[in-house]
Amino acid sequence: MIIVDNVVKNFGSFQALDHVSFEIGKGDIVGFLGKNGAGKTTLMRILTSFLAPSSGKVIIDGSDMAKNSLTIRQQIGYLPETPPLYNSMAVESYLKFAAQIKGVRAKKQRIQLAKVIEECNLAQVKHKTIATLSKGYKQRVGIAQAIIHEPKVLILDEPTSGLDPIQVQQVLALIKNQREQRTVILSTHNLTEIEQIAHRVLIIKSGKIIIDQSLKGLLKAKNDQHTLFQAEPHLQPASLEQIFINLHQLNSSQETTPDNTTGDKWV
Amino acid sequence: MGIIIALARKELHGYFSTPIAYLMLIAMLSLFNIFFYMIIAQNKEVSLRDVFQIMEFMFVFLIPLLTMKLFSEEKSTGTMEFLLTAPLTPSMLVLGKYLGMMTFFSILIAMTIIYYVIVEYFGSPDPISILSGYVGIWLEGAFFIAIGLLTSSWTGNQIIAAMMSYLILFLLYFATSFTQYFTGTVESFLIQLSTRTHLENFATGMITPGDITYYLSGILLCLVLTRLSIDNRLWQ
Repeated sequence: MIIVDNVVKNFGSFQALDHVSFEIGKGDIVGFLGKNGAGKTTLMRILTSFLAPSSGKVIIDGSDMAKNSLTIRQQIGYLPETPPLYNSMAVESYLKFAAQIKGVRAKKQRIQLAKVIEECNLAQVKHKTIATLSKGYKQRVGIAQAIIHEPKVLILDEPTSGLDPIQVQQVLALIKNQREQRTVILSTHNLTEIEQIAHRVLIIKSGKIIIDQSLKGLLKAKNDQHTLFQAEPHLQPASLEQIFINLHQLNSSQETTPDNTTGDKWV
Repeated sequence: MGIIIALARKELHGYFSTPIAYLMLIAMLSLFNIFFYMIIAQNKEVSLRDVFQIMEFMFVFLIPLLTMKLFSEEKSTGTMEFLLTAPLTPSMLVLGKYLGMMTFFSILIAMTIIYYVIVEYFGSPDPISILSGYVGIWLEGAFFIAIGLLTSSWTGNQIIAAMMSYLILFLLYFATSFTQYFTGTVESFLIQLSTRTHLENFATGMITPGDITYYLSGILLCLVLTRLSIDNRLWQ
């Protein structure tokens, strides 16, 4: 579904992404993990065609992004870190506008509008001005605009950032419901959330993917005497969160140790 | 075309959902009304020539206030990312915003047609010169809006966008003021560069291909530069 091949992104002399490569299959939910400034948002912006890479290739649903960006954008729903909302618009008007600019046919707009309003539980606020909504509702409106054109790929940049625990659960439930219909990529700092919904985890550090592994495989590492942690047993991980912290403490030579026990890729 | 109209409607909604549009319309029309009364009372002519020239002068100050938010606001609030990741081309985005702003401007111009009705009631004005004057002031506004759209695409700060518009519009409007320092080609260039030269012809009933070309090429240049400015990515 998604092939990222040797992607590099430079901002002047700063290298935000350093030869990033991975593939994501249809229907996967993949979590991007990494500290602030690791390159998660840059990678997501490249996948959504908001940014072009300095070098490398992105292929989505068989099409090369460099050649068919417009067609590919039709297949992508994107929620940036700050939901892109027009505060003066009512929820329904905004979603109708989103449907129009995303090329949903006039006849289908009303159906899609009703569908996302129901799916994102926005019926109560559909006539309200976006400025008056709570942060949780704003996030749901953001997700609604991302799925209104029924994209094959949904990309969510920190979708639960700044929400209270109840709102987080509501948004996670909404994302979980998407997995049967589309491939989902999300980034977050909250590893518990990743454990709840993702199939696979990509950990990014300083623009490089240091771990690309299934969630099961990664969690298995906490019980195994994994080669990665043999050198420093005190770093033996007890949870995904600890794995993440440990990886940021390990030196670069240890980070490149391959994982032969699970068959997953340690990059 | 549907996407361009949707973008234009969103732009208009953005103006009319807040008091900004109404305040701007009231402020502009009040100023025009005062000057219309003063000009008619002083000249005692059934002509709108001087009214058009005053309108042009007012637009130099007022249009940047209308256009400064077109792209700057999208950049500062993060909605630019939403627009540029949607399956629409940068040209559609530019044309949609321009169409929205031009619709607002056309509403403003339409509200001044009452001046023609008034002079028609009290005398026999030359309808051709008034019509050409309206065509001229509409083209002038369209040019100023294209400049405002361009400067707004350069920055996420609305004040900076307005300041850059003022700089360009002042240079164009006051270009003839510098002719006293130059002769020959430079002098001719400054005269041709000035918006006042071209509107003057329209206001006196002359519609020349040169004047139309001046406005249309200026508009086209600004729209193309705006497109290039917002599309700083390699993906096409």
